[in-house]
Amino acid sequence: MAKIEWMLNGTPISSDIDLSMRLLDYLRDHQHLKGPKEGCGEGECGACAVLIDHQIANSCLVPMANVAGHEVVTIEGFAKTKRYQIIAQAFIDCGAVQCGFCTPGMIIATESLLHHQPQPTISEIKVALSGNLCRCTGYNMIIEAITLAAKRGRGEW
Amino acid sequence: MKFQPDIGTPIPRVDAKEKISGAAAYINDIDMPGMLYAKTLRSKMAHGKIIKRHYPTLPEGYAIIDYRHIPGTNIVKAIYEDWQIFPVDEVRYIGEPILLVVGENKDVIIDILEAIEITYEEMEPQFEWIDSVIHYHYEKKHGSRPFADANRIIEHTYETGYQEQAYIEPQGMIGYLDQDKMTLIGSIQCPYYVKNAVLMALGWENERVRVIQAHVGGAFGGKEEYPSLIACQLAMAVIQVNKPVKLIFEREEDIIASTKRHPAQIAMKAAIDSEGHIMALKVHVGIDAGAVIGLSGVVLSRAMIAATGAYTIENLDVTGDVYRTHSVPTGAFRGFGAPQMMFAIEMFMEHIARNLGKEPLAYRMAYVAKQYDLTATSGTFRDPILMQKMIEEAMKRSRYEEKALQYQNLHRYQGIGMSFFLHGCGFTGSGEATTIKAKVRLRREASGVVHILIAAVDMGQGVRTAMRKLVAHMLEVPIDQVIYDLPDTDCVPDSGPTVASRTMMIVGGLVARAAQRLGMEPQIAVEIEETYHQPSEIQWDEARMQGDAYPAYSWGVNVVEVAVDPVTGEVSVVGAWSVYDVGKAIDTLMVRGQADGGLAQGIAYGYLEVMRHHQGKIQQRNLTDYIIPTAADMPPMETYLFDNPYAYGPYGAKGVGELTLVGGAPAIAKAIEMAIKRQITKIPVTPEMIMELMTHGED
Amino acid sequence: MVEARIPHSLQEALILMSQATYTIVNGATDLLVQKRSWSGTIPKFSQPPLYIRGLKELDYICERSGMLEIGATTSLETILHHPKTPKILQHIILTMASPAIRHQATLSGNIQNASPAGDSLVGLYLLDASIVLHNRHHERVISIQDFIVDVRKTMREADELITKVVLPIDKFSQCAYTKVGPRKTDAIAKVAFGGLIDIENDRIRDIRIAFGAVYKTVLRSRKIEESLMGKDRSAVPEMKHVLLEGYASLIQPIDDQRSNRWYRKTTALNLLEAFLDSISR
Repeated sequence: MAKIEWMLNGTPISSDIDLSMRLLDYLRDHQHLKGPKEGCGEGECGACAVLIDHQIANSCLVPMANVAGHEVVTIEGFAKTKRYQIIAQAFIDCGAVQCGFCTPGMIIATESLLHHQPQPTISEIKVALSGNLCRCTGYNMIIEAITLAAKRGRGEW
Repeated sequence: MKFQPDIGTPIPRVDAKEKISGAAAYINDIDMPGMLYAKTLRSKMAHGKIIKRHYPTLPEGYAIIDYRHIPGTNIVKAIYEDWQIFPVDEVRYIGEPILLVVGENKDVIIDILEAIEITYEEMEPQFEWIDSVIHYHYEKKHGSRPFADANRIIEHTYETGYQEQAYIEPQGMIGYLDQDKMTLIGSIQCPYYVKNAVLMALGWENERVRVIQAHVGGAFGGKEEYPSLIACQLAMAVIQVNKPVKLIFEREEDIIASTKRHPAQIAMKAAIDSEGHIMALKVHVGIDAGAVIGLSGVVLSRAMIAATGAYTIENLDVTGDVYRTHSVPTGAFRGFGAPQMMFAIEMFMEHIARNLGKEPLAYRMAYVAKQYDLTATSGTFRDPILMQKMIEEAMKRSRYEEKALQYQNLHRYQGIGMSFFLHGCGFTGSGEATTIKAKVRLRREASGVVHILIAAVDMGQGVRTAMRKLVAHMLEVPIDQVIYDLPDTDCVPDSGPTVASRTMMIVGGLVARAAQRLGMEPQIAVEIEETYHQPSEIQWDEARMQGDAYPAYSWGVNVVEVAVDPVTGEVSVVGAWSVYDVGKAIDTLMVRGQADGGLAQGIAYGYLEVMRHHQGKIQQRNLTDYIIPTAADMPPMETYLFDNPYAYGPYGAKGVGELTLVGGAPAIAKAIEMAIKRQITKIPVTPEMIMELMTHGED
Repeated sequence: MVEARIPHSLQEALILMSQATYTIVNGATDLLVQKRSWSGTIPKFSQPPLYIRGLKELDYICERSGMLEIGATTSLETILHHPKTPKILQHIILTMASPAIRHQATLSGNIQNASPAGDSLVGLYLLDASIVLHNRHHERVISIQDFIVDVRKTMREADELITKVVLPIDKFSQCAYTKVGPRKTDAIAKVAFGGLIDIENDRIRDIRIAFGAVYKTVLRSRKIEESLMGKDRSAVPEMKHVLLEGYASLIQPIDDQRSNRWYRKTTALNLLEAFLDSISR
C-alpha cells in the first residue's frame, strides 16, 4: 500500500492503494466507473481503454503506480465534453454501435486520435483503431463515424 | 393517414446512447449487496476417470459446488441431452468444469482452487473421427444411381477448422434467490433455454425460476446453448450459499472451454455426363462435436440440407456423421453448419468446372437455382429468386470481369472471388410449429403506450430498435410510445430463442400481426397475443429429410478482392462487395451493420482465424494468439439490397444475420486461388498454407 | 517484507536496488500480462515490483555527441514521433502492438524482456545500439548483442537498471523492414526481417542484416555482412546463392501456436532474397 496523487475525470485524487492494482480494477471496483470493460485482460481488445494525459491506454495493463502524477479520463468523464457529443452523434448517425461492448473504448480511441490529428486519413484512423477489437461491425461504419466526427468537429480539436 | 417514410429508412438505435456513454449495464457491470464470486475448476485431462477428490477445509463463507449439489437432473436441457452439469467420475475434455468454488474474496478462492487435488486415472482419449453418434442420409430423385452411367467422376474433399465466436464480452451470469425464486441475469441469447435448463436441473416448478437478460456484448451463437450450463452450475451455488453469486469467464477459459464452430470434412463427388453436365452429387459431411453432442445433430442437418448451396442439382445422395471426440464441445455459431457447407459446394463447383476445362463462372451460373426448382431435400423454392440479377449487380459493382481477366497474369498475385449462397430462415422443417411454438404479446396501456412482450434478445443486431420501429410504423405512433425492455421470463412469453435468423421473420411476423390486430382494436387498454402457425404448404418429413426444410430463403452474392504477397504469403483484403435479398430491410443501416460484420467474420473464417487443438488442448488460448481482424485488416465494403418481399415476414422481411457470414470464406478462398493459381481445399487459407501451395501445390 | 515502491529519483531507485531484489516494472504492458491471475485480483510478482515508469529524469530522447540517446522511461510513441529517430526504428515501432500500448510501453522494457519475437530488438541489433546500465556505484555500457544472451535472459545484474539506449544517428541510404504477423497490426511476429545499407557510388560501404523470431535471439552475422562490404552492388546477384545458404544454416525457428518452422525459415529467406534483389536493382 502506498499513497499516490493523481487526477481522475478532472478531480485531484489521493489514493492509498496497492501499487500493483490494475487501473481497470480500481476504476470498476473502487470508483464504480463501469464504462471501461474487460474483454481480454491483456491489452488486445481495447474495451478497457481510458485516456491518460489525453492519450489512449489500456487500463487493464496500467498498474496504479503508473498513474501517479497523471490525469486519467474515463468514458464517464469524457462524456461531459462537447467533443464527446460530436463523436457520439457521429457514431449514432453512422450505425457504428452494435453490441456496444467495444464502443466506449472506440470513443476513447477516437478522442485520442483527433486530439493529435484533427483531420485524419482513413489509414490514420485504421492505425488509431488497431488496438480496439470489434466483432460486430467489420469496422467500416466506425471509420465512417470518425471521419464524420472530424468533419463536424472542425475546430474543436 | 399521416405520411410514413418507407419502413427501411434508418433511425437511430434506441440503445446507442447508453452504450456509447458506458452506462448500459452488461453482466459484469452489475453488483449486488453481499454478492459472492464463483470460479471454475477445470479438467486438465482430455479423458480420465476421477479416482479421488481431495477438498481442503474451507474457511467460513466459502463453498465448493459439484455434482452432489444437483437436486434435479445432472444434464443441461438442450436438443440432445448429453451435457452433464458437473462430471461425476469421468472427465471428457480439457477445460471441462468439475466444480465451482464460491466465496467473497477472490484471492481466497484462488487458494482453495490451488489446494484442491483431483486424482485421475488417465484413459485413452479419442481424437480421430470414428465414433459416429449421429448419422443422417437423404436422397433427391435418383440419388447416387446416375454415377453408374457417369462419363467421368470428379471428387474433392474440403476441410474447415474451428472458429471462435470471440464476442468481446466474455460469458457471464449472476444468480440470486428472490424470496424463493431462483433468478438469473446473464449475457444470453435465449432466456427460455436458460430457464428450462435450470428448471430441469433444480427439479423446481415453473414459477420458481426467472431469467433476465443483461445487455449482451456480442454472442454470434456462442451464447445460445452454452449459458444454460453456466446457469445450472450457478443455480446450485446460489442454493448452497443463499447469496447472490457472480460468475464471469476470463478470456482464456472462455476460449478453451466454451463451444465453437464445428470443424468439418466434406467429401464431394460429382457424376459428369459426356457433355460435362453434373448428373448427380454424392456428399458426405463429417463434423467434430467434441465431447458433447448437444446441438451437433442440428448443425449437421443444416449443413446437409445446404449441400447444393445456391444451385439446383437433379440427383443427390447426401450423408453425414457427427463424431464424438475428447476435445472441446462445438456448438452454435452464426451460420450453424452452412459456412462449412457453402465453402465446400462453392469450391467444388469451381473445381469441377476447372477440371473439365470450362469457364467456372458460366458453368456455375447455369446451375443457379430458379423459382419452382426443387430444393436439395425435394421441397420447392416457391418464392421468386433474383440471383441472376443480383450476380449481375455484384459483377458490375466490383468490376469483376475486368479484374478477373487482368489477374490471370501469373505475376499479378491478385485475385477476385465470387460466392453465391442462400440461407434458410428460421428453424428447420416444422421446428417452429412443433418445437418452438413461438408466442408474442402486445399490451397497450390506457395511456396509449404499447409494450412489446417477446423474449428476443438484442445482442447487437438491433432487434430492440427494429421491433419498436415495426410496431410504431404499423400503429402510426411515435417510437417512444412503444416499449421493449430487456426480456424477463416473468414478464414476456416464450417467443423462442434469438437464433437461426428467425427473429425478424418469425417473431417480427407475429409482432406485426399482433400490431395489425391491435390497430383495429377499439378498446385502448388491451393485450393481444399471437402464436405461430406453419404455412400449410410447408411440409417436412424429419426422418427422411424430405420436403420444405425452411419456410423461406435469403440469398446472397459476395465478391472479395485480394492481393497476395508472394514473398511472405500474406493476404491483403482489398475490397468486398455484397448483394443480398433479405426480403425487405426493416432498417437499411442496421442491415448494413449485419452485412459488414457478418462478412468480416466470414472472410476471416476463410483466411485469418486459426484454431487447432493438440491432444485435446486448444493451442490458441487468448486474443493474442486467436486472431480476429482489426480495422487495418478489413477492406471497404459495399452492400446492395434487392427487395423481394416474403408473404409471411413483416413488410416482407426474411432472415439477415447468418446469411451475411456464409459466403465470405468461399469468396476469399476463390480470390486467393486466382492470385496464386493453385487449388484450395482447406480453410483458413493461412500464409503458411499459401507458401506451401506456391512451393509444392498443384494448379 | 519488502514492498512495491515508486522511486522518486534514479538515485533512490538504485539505492533500493542495492538493498533488495526487485522486479523492475516500466511500462508494464508485458509484465501485467505475465503476472495477472484473475480479474479483480492484484497481479502477483515473485519479487516486489519497483515502478520506474514515472522517473522523469529518464524520460527524454535527444541528440548528444552525434548519437541519439533514449532514456529508459521514454514511451515508444514518443520515440516514434521524434525527428531524429532512425527510419528503421520508426518502421518497427509502427508495427508494435497498438497506440494504447505504445503510449505506455518503453524501449528499455522491450529490451529487458528479451523475447525472440521482441520487435524493437531487430532494429537495435542492426543499429549496433548500446545499452547503458547503472547500479548504485557504477555505470557500464554494453552492446545490445552482448546484452541479450538467450531467450528472456540478459546480462543485467539484479542491482542494475537500464537507464538509456544509445543509437547512432541514421546514415543509411536504404532501409528495409518487414514484420510478418498473423494480421496487419496488433500482432506478435512470426518472422521479422530488417536490412540496412549504405551505398556510395554503387559501392557497398555498410550493410547489415537481421532476423527476428527465427532464433533464440535476434540473428545477425557479421561474418556474412563483411563478405559484402566494399563490393559493387552489381556483384550481389552472383553472391546471392552463397548468402542465402549462409543464413539458411543459421536460422533455427520453432513450431508454435502462431506458425511453423518451415514457413518461418522459407519466409525469412524470401525476405532476404527480396532485399538482396533490391540492392542490385
